[in-house]
Amino acid sequence: MKNRVVHALPLIVSVLILLQYLFVPNFRKFTPLDQNAPTDLFAWVMAFFILVFFLWNILVSFWSAAEKKLRLRAPIYTAALVLLLLYDWATLKSGILPQPFVPWPDAILNAIIRDREILVSAVTHSLRLLFTGYSIGVAAGIITGVTAGWSKSIRYWVQSVVKVLSSIPPVTWLPIILVLASSLFGGAVFLIALAVWCPVTSTTMNGVLSVPKSTFEAAKTFGVTSIGMIFKVALPASSPFIFQGLTQGMSVACTALLIAELMGVEAGLGWYINQQRGWAEFAGMYGAIVIICVTFLVVNAVLNIIRRRVLHWKEGEV
Amino acid sequence: MSLEIKNINKTFTRTDLRGVLCAIEDLSLRIEAGEFVSIIGASGCGKSTLLRMIAGLDFPTKGEVLFNREPVRGTSPNRGLVFQDHTLFPWMTIRGNIVFALKSSKRYDLYSDTIDTLIETVGLTAFSNSYPHQLSGGMRQRAALIRSLAVRPDVLLLDEPLGSLDSFTRMTLQDEIIRLWQARSNTMIMITHDVDEAVYLSNRIVVMSPRPGRIVEIVDVPMHYPRNRATPDFVNLRTHLLKRLDFASEVEQEYYL
Repeated sequence: MKNRVVHALPLIVSVLILLQYLFVPNFRKFTPLDQNAPTDLFAWVMAFFILVFFLWNILVSFWSAAEKKLRLRAPIYTAALVLLLLYDWATLKSGILPQPFVPWPDAILNAIIRDREILVSAVTHSLRLLFTGYSIGVAAGIITGVTAGWSKSIRYWVQSVVKVLSSIPPVTWLPIILVLASSLFGGAVFLIALAVWCPVTSTTMNGVLSVPKSTFEAAKTFGVTSIGMIFKVALPASSPFIFQGLTQGMSVACTALLIAELMGVEAGLGWYINQQRGWAEFAGMYGAIVIICVTFLVVNAVLNIIRRRVLHWKEGEV
Repeated sequence: MSLEIKNINKTFTRTDLRGVLCAIEDLSLRIEAGEFVSIIGASGCGKSTLLRMIAGLDFPTKGEVLFNREPVRGTSPNRGLVFQDHTLFPWMTIRGNIVFALKSSKRYDLYSDTIDTLIETVGLTAFSNSYPHQLSGGMRQRAALIRSLAVRPDVLLLDEPLGSLDSFTRMTLQDEIIRLWQARSNTMIMITHDVDEAVYLSNRIVVMSPRPGRIVEIVDVPMHYPRNRATPDFVNLRTHLLKRLDFASEVEQEYYL
């Protein structure tokens, strides 16, 4: 009984949002020429949510996996939808939040759709920058991490460099990089790679150091070659540590990406935000922020899926 | 297969002792093909060092270890080693571990068809696709044992392989080790500090004294397998060995310079 109520909550709140959007009067009148005049778009989106939650509630009765998932997610979905309801009310319905600086959901959605072509190319550009920098940083970090874990004298130098660099936010170097780099893209790639390199190097090194000596010796008795020792023993054995570095690295890479785009690079989501702010297009600015959130959430979710796939052998994972 | 240890000395430079630690002094030993030899002694008597030198993971300061009349210069799949901690690769299944051992030693084509039988002989068939962390301590040690045996080493070196197990699992595994050894007639050299285990398993028992590591006595064990722990012969031999080990601790000397 109690579960039934919890299952229904997201559906109920979605209906409430739709009703208040359609029937509560707006804080001011709009002319049809007004760019931010409320449209049916938000209503259709909410109608879609209602449909999804309605079907999900039906599915629950004869599919236990759907029930488990809904029971797990329903409270958080409800909380998110309540926030959406409050936000819509505080902007479009009451105008409590300062206007026009805080646009309402419908205006944000419309701005995203209006600028979809620019946004798609901005997301593509941002992702390309992110992944070029991230993969260079990860590759370099794993190489230095493994060699530093392997050899004491290399460790001495790598550790010192990492220690210094990791206490300085990588974006500190941005002005120098922008002046020196021959292309803005290349400079930003370098910045992101540098930001990723630090955590990946130190976690990989710690990973290699944490492998018991007897694991290497056991491999040695089977005749594993020294190259095999690195690729078939050291790397897989330290992969839980490496993935820790990959996750940390992704979060600093996202920060570095945004700052690089906000400060210099003339493309991508950060640049788009700046443009919209410059033209006082607040709905477009919020739209870009929404897109950024979604993009980074998806990127991290993908990384998480890869981590679970690779580390399925480990206790406590999955 | 022939294994001969000729007048080996092993010293370690130890900064914490401000001197040189003599782990093994002038030790000679000949081991015949197909023997089961146990090495017993108090901890610190250099028995692990001795085993590591046979494996090729450590090298004597003086003297040499001759395997098939060649001095040992490194590890070889012909000299397998089982550690006290299982050392299975945690990112591979039990079967994966064995396949890895066979491929690394380039013997996969020769023995890949024996993997399943080997897993079956230690009762792990249901677990062959499980990961090490999903197994109990005894199962892991069984898996480590067959992983080393899978490549068919001439000598299998066992460094207190059952040391971390409870006594019931231990006794079951002792019987399994005998079965595996008798089925393959390879040479076994085992280190243990369990006198009972040494008497139960071996043809010969080497008693070592600590600091510096020396051989005190080599005892032949003529009893038939499977042995009974309650027979007078068994009990007498065990008592004798325990006495020798007490004696061994009496000759303890200063060992650093």
